Amino acid sequence: MALPLSYSWRSLLARGSRTAFTVAVIALVVIATTLFWSLIGSLKRTLVSSGSPHNLIVMRKGATNDGSSQLSLDAYQTIRFFEGIAKDPAGNPLVSPEIVVQPFFHTTSGTRENVLVRGIEAPALLVHDEVTIGEGRMIHPSSGEAVVGRIVAQRYKGASLGSDLRFGNANWKVVGILDANGSSFESEVWVDARELASNAKRPFPYSGFRVRVADGADMDALARRIGDDPRWALEATREIDYYKQLSSTANTLYIIVAGLAVLAGIGAMFGATNSMYAAVQARTSEIGTLRALGFSRGAILGAFLAESVMTAAFAFVIGAAISWLLAIAISAAMGGIGFASQTFTTNVVVLRVAPQDLLMPLGLAILIGVFGGLAPAAAAARLRPVEALRKA
Amino acid sequence: MKYLPLVWRNLGRNPLRSVLTAAAIALAIALVCILRTMPAGLDAILASAAANTRISTHNEAGIVYSMPYSYLAKVRAVPGVVAAISWNWFGGALDLTKGVEFPNFAVDPDGFAEVYADWGLEPKVLEDFRKYRDAALVARQTLEKHRWKVGDVITLQSTVFPVTLSFRIVGANPNQGGALYFQREYLEQALAGAGVQFDTTGMIWSRVDDPERVAPVMRQIDEMFRNSEAITSTETEKSFIGNFFGGLKQLVTIIQIVAALVTLCIVFIAANTASMSIRERVGEIAILKAIGFRRQTIFSTLLAEAGLLALVAGIIGAVAAFGMLKALQLYATGAGPQLGPLTAFAVSNAILVQAIFIAFFIGILSGWVPALGASRRSVAQTLREVF
Repeated sequence: MALPLSYSWRSLLARGSRTAFTVAVIALVVIATTLFWSLIGSLKRTLVSSGSPHNLIVMRKGATNDGSSQLSLDAYQTIRFFEGIAKDPAGNPLVSPEIVVQPFFHTTSGTRENVLVRGIEAPALLVHDEVTIGEGRMIHPSSGEAVVGRIVAQRYKGASLGSDLRFGNANWKVVGILDANGSSFESEVWVDARELASNAKRPFPYSGFRVRVADGADMDALARRIGDDPRWALEATREIDYYKQLSSTANTLYIIVAGLAVLAGIGAMFGATNSMYAAVQARTSEIGTLRALGFSRGAILGAFLAESVMTAAFAFVIGAAISWLLAIAISAAMGGIGFASQTFTTNVVVLRVAPQDLLMPLGLAILIGVFGGLAPAAAAARLRPVEALRKA
Repeated sequence: MKYLPLVWRNLGRNPLRSVLTAAAIALAIALVCILRTMPAGLDAILASAAANTRISTHNEAGIVYSMPYSYLAKVRAVPGVVAAISWNWFGGALDLTKGVEFPNFAVDPDGFAEVYADWGLEPKVLEDFRKYRDAALVARQTLEKHRWKVGDVITLQSTVFPVTLSFRIVGANPNQGGALYFQREYLEQALAGAGVQFDTTGMIWSRVDDPERVAPVMRQIDEMFRNSEAITSTETEKSFIGNFFGGLKQLVTIIQIVAALVTLCIVFIAANTASMSIRERVGEIAILKAIGFRRQTIFSTLLAEAGLLALVAGIIGAVAAFGMLKALQLYATGAGPQLGPLTAFAVSNAILVQAIFIAFFIGILSGWVPALGASRRSVAQTLREVF
């Protein structure tokens, strides 16, 4: 017969202060790993959600991002009439030619950052259908106007709706705010492509094209056709894969967070083992009594293991709740967290603890509970009833 | 000191607990060392940049907004400028699928030695850098990471220009960002071959003769280009680097928060052990007092016990951190230069030594309350409870 769970639970409460110490240690480890893990998660979500499953990005062969690619007008004029590209109601192909420049912006706290400014033409909003104008309106061509991402509007000087924004040797009138479900487009500024090209004195008109593939058309076939065209050395990639590759900035962070989880996890496990051993020691006579009453070794093992896992689970709940609040506090205090992207622009990520970010810390806490409790629980189960009772 | 054997024996009375506690503290200390090393890489670069008189001129609009190459001659002519070189981002990748793994720049070999005089490059290396058109000076850390040596030939495919260039490594440079420098003329000729005219520069780096003159020289350079096709902005190297990595500030804050959390973790681990081991010994401590040991003696031996355990753990943790940082330096690839100095993982002795002190103080601190409680308890009452 197994011991009821309430036995383990009441035992935990009986040695309140020591339980509190163990809970605090595990909870701190949970908070530390959750913060880092959510940061990586938030970065990945921001970048990956920027790609649309219907879109291809076309760049010069060998370019790793649209900030370092250059394409000719001829290439654009030919490719837009390829088979398999979606069309707007008027019958124009949904190909968005874009030029990317990285001018300096000044944050409201006084630092200088490179911001991704995207020069666009009419089809941009139709191709990037996840981007919408949240406030104000879209720019008119050749009017010196700009629309800015929601994050840009908050983070940089002079970037709010209706202001004059200075960048790239000119002043631009902010006429609208871009919303893009928290994706990296909210860290961008969009202006007229021709105005931007002349302002930045770019030798080639475009950096890349975004192509919306028609429903039912073969995406890979279209990508191959663009890539195989001998006239221009171009490469077409699925937008989703492109943004996935951009998010590889997080790889080093992964190594760090994995190391953090392993090291801190083992440390916390030692702490948990320590208090469980003390618990077993303090209750030697009690264990003897239980054994004398007829509870099996397995039941004792289970009860002590349950005690350890309960501690860890409780610590996880507290740690997760604190991390969640801490993330909100950090976001409120700092706005967003800037990451240098491969385009050498600042990609602002809003730290948020999503439910899936808690899975890794939960697993870690359970492991700490199980492995931290295993040795002491086994020691308790090994106690021989007669000796245990005699000791008391 | 004569009580040291007693302290030592007390630690050995429950060896499993002492080892577990020491291991937990050591791991946490190692973690704190690694976390604190990340932002320290940035500070080290800023500190090394503060002392020199190197200044950077770039387009006011941003580094990607280039300037005419003819600006270089004009900057060189400014009184107070000892030497100046142009600077272009080549964006070369060893393997395009991995992207740009270390920064690489085209520069003028003329004036390079003077602009980077503080690097102390050997005359032979500088001579080779001028002599061979395909010469490259590679940062020491990049050489180590890729196991290259002087004389090796490497090939980089540009992600900015339509060319692929092979370089002969002629020497090492101490750049902390891992940069490779090569001759501008080599790029110019390759681009001419590809039908591209190359007459711009991304930045101009100059050295000023006197620290006092840095500010006026910077003003004069910007004044000179005030009404020309590319308005410039000139700043000191420290200000430039500080701005370049300004976007990493929030990330650094998060790293610091996590480091603080882990430190707090050590406090709880150490305090738990101290209170456990002291609680077990209440009776024994009462007897010690009954036979005449003074309260202060008991208090300080208990404190010494907690401090010694944490100190040993701290030393083990710092040594472990040293090893792990060395491993990270070699294997933490895949980020490219974007996280910059945060992932350089250069070992700082100051951080390791500080961590050992932190461990010691935490040990003392965590032993304080239980030790004080134990030494203050009334003898008669304790003995009555225990027996």
